[in-house]
Amino acid sequence: MKKNNAKIKVLLSKLGLDVHNRGLITVAKMLRDSGMEVIYLGNALPDEIINIAIQEDADVIGVSSLGGAHLTLGKDLIDLATEKGLKDSTIFIIGGIFSIEDHQKLKEAGFDEVFTAGATQEEIVGAINGLVA
Amino acid sequence: MAGTKKTTKEILQENLKNEKPHSLYNAESVKKIKNDYDLFKKNYLEKKGGEWQTVPHTILGSEIPRDMLYAPVHAPELDYDFDLGYPGSEPCTRGIHPNMYRGKKFTIRQINGYGGPEDTNQRLKYMLEHGATGLSVIHDLPTTQMYDSDDPISKGQVGMSGVAIDYADDMEILFDNIPIDKVTVSLVTHYPSNTAILFPMYLAAAERKGLSFDVLKGSVQNDITLEEVVRSGPEYIPPRDCFRIQVDNIEFIKNNVPGFNFNTLNGYNLHEFGTSGVTEMAVAVANAIESLDEMVARGYDVDWVAQRLAFFWSISSDFFEEVSRIRAVRRLWYRIMKYRFGAKNPRAMWMRCHVQTSGISLVREEPLNNIVRAAIQSLSAVFGGVQSLHVDSYDEAYSVPTEQAALISLRTQQIIQEETAITDVVDPLGGSFYVEALTNEIEKRILDEVEEIEKIGGYVAAIEKGWIHNKVAAYFCKEKELIDKGVIKFVGSNVYKSGMAANPIEVFSYPEGVEQRQKAKIAALKLRRDNEKVASALAALENACRGKDNIVPFSLDCARVGCTGGEIFKVFKKAFGLWKPPVFW
Repeated sequence: MKKNNAKIKVLLSKLGLDVHNRGLITVAKMLRDSGMEVIYLGNALPDEIINIAIQEDADVIGVSSLGGAHLTLGKDLIDLATEKGLKDSTIFIIGGIFSIEDHQKLKEAGFDEVFTAGATQEEIVGAINGLVA
Repeated sequence: MAGTKKTTKEILQENLKNEKPHSLYNAESVKKIKNDYDLFKKNYLEKKGGEWQTVPHTILGSEIPRDMLYAPVHAPELDYDFDLGYPGSEPCTRGIHPNMYRGKKFTIRQINGYGGPEDTNQRLKYMLEHGATGLSVIHDLPTTQMYDSDDPISKGQVGMSGVAIDYADDMEILFDNIPIDKVTVSLVTHYPSNTAILFPMYLAAAERKGLSFDVLKGSVQNDITLEEVVRSGPEYIPPRDCFRIQVDNIEFIKNNVPGFNFNTLNGYNLHEFGTSGVTEMAVAVANAIESLDEMVARGYDVDWVAQRLAFFWSISSDFFEEVSRIRAVRRLWYRIMKYRFGAKNPRAMWMRCHVQTSGISLVREEPLNNIVRAAIQSLSAVFGGVQSLHVDSYDEAYSVPTEQAALISLRTQQIIQEETAITDVVDPLGGSFYVEALTNEIEKRILDEVEEIEKIGGYVAAIEKGWIHNKVAAYFCKEKELIDKGVIKFVGSNVYKSGMAANPIEVFSYPEGVEQRQKAKIAALKLRRDNEKVASALAALENACRGKDNIVPFSLDCARVGCTGGEIFKVFKKAFGLWKPPVFW
């Protein structure tokens, strides 16, 4: 399902106002080191994330939330992607601190993959390669 | 500045070179011990092989090499009076008070905050009822990032990870029926900008309770590192302006609220974000030096100012490094105050600190193990002689703590204080060959990094140039690799994996309807308040930002007339413009 990019193109963003970006910066580096193209957006709301993903024709949208807003903003992101016709052509990944119940809810909301603290480089890179292929 | 001025290291070296007249060990003994030690080492390695020196890999550690055995040869010039002295006396290595915890036990100060001010008020009272001896309040993401609860960007985040405070009335509700003239209150305001917004709201709430400012006691954070380095946010003001607000807060609070620590140099969040314990302390010390320089430039006496400086450290898992670090920075700070600033007031030379156990060391798998981790970290803090302590709760790898989990954190501290007799003796690890050698090494490394920052042109310059951002990103990316490879170990997670599948514990659920409640309150406020007064208070604040006057009296006026935090931050953004921080990966 890869788009017309030379490398897998990943857009990474912090959801909303969440201040914790250690994890997302680490992921940015590991994806780049694995040969992907990474756009690091910083903090943004779903509409900005979707707009940039369309402009950039990103294969993957990865968002990070450790502040508790993952269900609200995560669902907004997926809804907006569906509305803009992006949901089926793009991979959606979310990472952060979630309870096991919320982990399940995020999957049900439409995220292709959900990662919590402790996910390894191998798991994250492997999942993206598998999903985009 | 760089190049023309002596570095702090150079100043200390000049002043300290001839001050070791009473070496604890005579040269002859040291020579004999050195011989025997080398022989012991040689014999051991020949027989058993292996490494004499190893480098510990622990979460947030400094990777300082360790010998298998420590002896007087590791600090052969140790001079009791000069290097250690007596607690409460120069150079305070052993503690800032002569009797330490026999006189005043460390303050049990657990951080609290969730939902609206009504919700957190209940939790604060619960903690006090169960023996907390200080309060600490953390704000939700919109409040911390300085957006109102009704701002579109706050959606879904109101009351999450902290308490929502939109305007002064919320502060009044937060401390309703809590005696803030008696109990010390730490407001975790993080940023200078945020401190200039929220502390005035606290003052306005105190005024309405009929309290004068001089009865208030506690701390704000007010740290540029948090606003410009550690934080991830949508909008930033430039570092120079941020630093100016930091110093404006210091000046205002010292002059008007003398019982408040005007900044708590926050190593904690930087350490947790991803640095070694050495960098954590070097950055806080460099920032403190620069703030004091600026206060001296504004005409203040350093002995008067520095009495209210406080530090906040994160205590992680390398037990002896953590004990030694606290002792090392306490001695270093004393010497910096004495020799670099010429301080004479002993109180101005104290490195007073609050510490919190390490959040990032908490593990999701088998979360009850986190009780053990936090307890061990707490012990190193207490052996280090800290003033105040927060113990992380075992469920914080999932969410903010439940009441039950928060109670265990409180009880951990009470068990240390009441059941173990640890607090009966001052600096119980002082004199350990190992701890003294490590204390020396860490003090040296902190001072080296302070010098590195000074050579860049100072701490604000180090932020502007991305030096610190780069250093942090390099550290945590490397650390992540070490964790993935199992070099840094987490029991139950990357070693002795549990294979646990489901939530084994009850996880906190946030109260519902907070966002709606805060939005309704703001809507009502905007109808009720005198909007002309609001507009003129905001205009006066903007004028102050553009000029040279201290801005805090103006933001206090804003708080008094009912401006919201978001309205005040808009003024800062308009007056100072925006800055894009470097992101390295």
